[in-house]
Amino acid sequence: MVSAQNAMNGSANNLAIDLTDVHKTYGKKIRALQGVTLQVRAGEIFGLLGPNGAGKSTLVKIMMTIVRPDTAKGTVLNLGVGDPVALTRIGYLPEHHRFPTYLTGRQVVEFSGAMSKVDRPTRKKRASELLDRVGMGGWKDRPLASYSKGMRQRVGLAAALVNDPQLVVLDEPTDGVDPVGRREIRDLLIGIRDEGRTVLLNSHLLSEIENVCSRVAILVQGRLVAQGTIDELTSSSRRYEIVVEGTAPAWCAESASVRMIPAGQMLSAGIQGESCKLVFLGLDALGAQPILDRLRAEQRTVIAAQTVRESLEDLFMRAVTDPTTGLIYRPGAAT
Amino acid sequence: MMQTIAIFVSAYRELSARKIFWLALAISLFVVGIFASLGINETGISFFGWTFESPLFNTNTTSPETFYKLLFVNLGVDWWLGVLSTLLALVTTCGIIPDLVAPGSIDLLLAKPITRTRLFLTKYCTGLLFAALQVFVFTSASFFVIGIRGGAWEWTLFTAVPIVTFFYSLLFCMCAFIGVLTRSSVASLILTLLAWTIIFTINISESIVNSGRIANQLEAKEIESKLANTEKPVDEDEREELTSDLAKTLENRPTWDRAHFWFFGVKTFLPKTTDTLGLLDRWLLDSASMPSRNEDSNRGPQQAFGPKRVKRGDFQRAVKEDEQSRSIWWVLGTSLVFEGVVLGLATLIFVRRDY
Repeated sequence: MVSAQNAMNGSANNLAIDLTDVHKTYGKKIRALQGVTLQVRAGEIFGLLGPNGAGKSTLVKIMMTIVRPDTAKGTVLNLGVGDPVALTRIGYLPEHHRFPTYLTGRQVVEFSGAMSKVDRPTRKKRASELLDRVGMGGWKDRPLASYSKGMRQRVGLAAALVNDPQLVVLDEPTDGVDPVGRREIRDLLIGIRDEGRTVLLNSHLLSEIENVCSRVAILVQGRLVAQGTIDELTSSSRRYEIVVEGTAPAWCAESASVRMIPAGQMLSAGIQGESCKLVFLGLDALGAQPILDRLRAEQRTVIAAQTVRESLEDLFMRAVTDPTTGLIYRPGAAT
Repeated sequence: MMQTIAIFVSAYRELSARKIFWLALAISLFVVGIFASLGINETGISFFGWTFESPLFNTNTTSPETFYKLLFVNLGVDWWLGVLSTLLALVTTCGIIPDLVAPGSIDLLLAKPITRTRLFLTKYCTGLLFAALQVFVFTSASFFVIGIRGGAWEWTLFTAVPIVTFFYSLLFCMCAFIGVLTRSSVASLILTLLAWTIIFTINISESIVNSGRIANQLEAKEIESKLANTEKPVDEDEREELTSDLAKTLENRPTWDRAHFWFFGVKTFLPKTTDTLGLLDRWLLDSASMPSRNEDSNRGPQQAFGPKRVKRGDFQRAVKEDEQSRSIWWVLGTSLVFEGVVLGLATLIFVRRDY
């Protein structure tokens, strides 16, 4: 098991992944990555987001030496990109993986261990432990041909962990897994993080990312458009909403940072009679207190008051929308 | 080493999971069973109680040891291992490289601390495992048949294992090259069979042209000898005919030489599949001082390109001597160069590609 201290040692500057200026062009026209800079801290679960063809898989594949970059500066686990020593410390589960179906679950995990240079007794022991951990203990000696897609995904996770990795890179790990299985995998990811490992999670499921990731990055058309904690990324969208009885106060109309929504346009259920929603952009609960005091001083009835911020989905949609045209960027890499 | 062993163990598991592997092994043992059930006696060849009279194969002309070795080389190696088993092996292994480079499969392996070159070449070697196992089982079974039925425990029989495996590698390198290029098992199989057919045709053509060239030389030599014979001089009519034939023969010689030059030149750059298996003829049959299968007698009609005035046996002996004058290093070395070039190109493509 990797301790948090080990994880820290693995990366002197506390970054498990520290990539700068990553470029990749397929052929002469398809610019999959255009100067991507990415930092993943040791011991965190990091979510990589982006629409189809944004370059997420290319970036992951460059780290795993599956794709050769045009340029890629920086380090993975404090070693150069593609360093074989770093690869022994990384566990990887690709999207649409194809493990040999003639092998049993145990053989798949042991084969993965052998390829990562894990000695025989250790990999045999770990294969059993990990298959139990992913809920495949009862199936470990049956061939993969008899497994469902979700079961193969679980075996893939066990195979990615067999070398006791410091960094675990997972590309759509819950693909084909049922809701119960997703929850189990989510718990497993949290468990992996709690052991001090770093997890890079590439997923289309925003709720999944939102639930487990401490930081995220959004790639669009080969460019990194956002990177940070979800709180940081959504802070600009933070607002305070107050629903008051009657019409909006006149002083609200004078402020540019206040939007007034009449009762007829409000979506909130349970608000009846003549009322109005006041939206104070960029304001938190503390900053809203003087406004609430003023409303009460004016004898207005405050029906509801709350801090609101955009969801990860809102953030994602904002990131993939062209601000000049308001249209969503076309899927695929830049050409 | 741990990774190499793991890849080989996985390859063995893959083979053993395929029915065609066990089918091929069963056929191998069946073929050896047929050998074992054949016998040789004073009058001919026996088979399950029946005796088929043969003036060529009986214990007066051929020892049981020689008989079984001939069966092993001419039927076992040349036909079963050299053609039918090879076809089964190609069908079974043609998917190894396309499966390796398939999306989802290659990612799992390239993400491991193993160089691409080593990964590709190790996978290539696992493809030879099928052929090696088949040949080993077949040869081992034949070893016991020759020992028990023929009374000779011939260890040189096991040279068939590296030779036939090498023969198979000459085809499999093309299969691997096409596989890495097209990523298609079907294309690998079909194009490899096509290449094998072309190589076989060129080999046979060279052999035929070479026979014609040697026949021309022998014929000219024989006519010149007759014309120069003072002890038994020929009459005027015959001398005229001989002189005319000699002129025609000498006139044809540049054509034969030129044709052979080109065929031989092309063949030099190609793998010597037929010649490689032919090495077993040299080692197994010659080492036991056995007559060649072609060196039977001077009876029978001449071959199409055979000389008119030279005995058939002498002609066949001359052709065989010429073939065997080509060194083992020429046969294996030039084939190895071909394999090296094809495999080098395949490796280069594999190493430089993004997946």
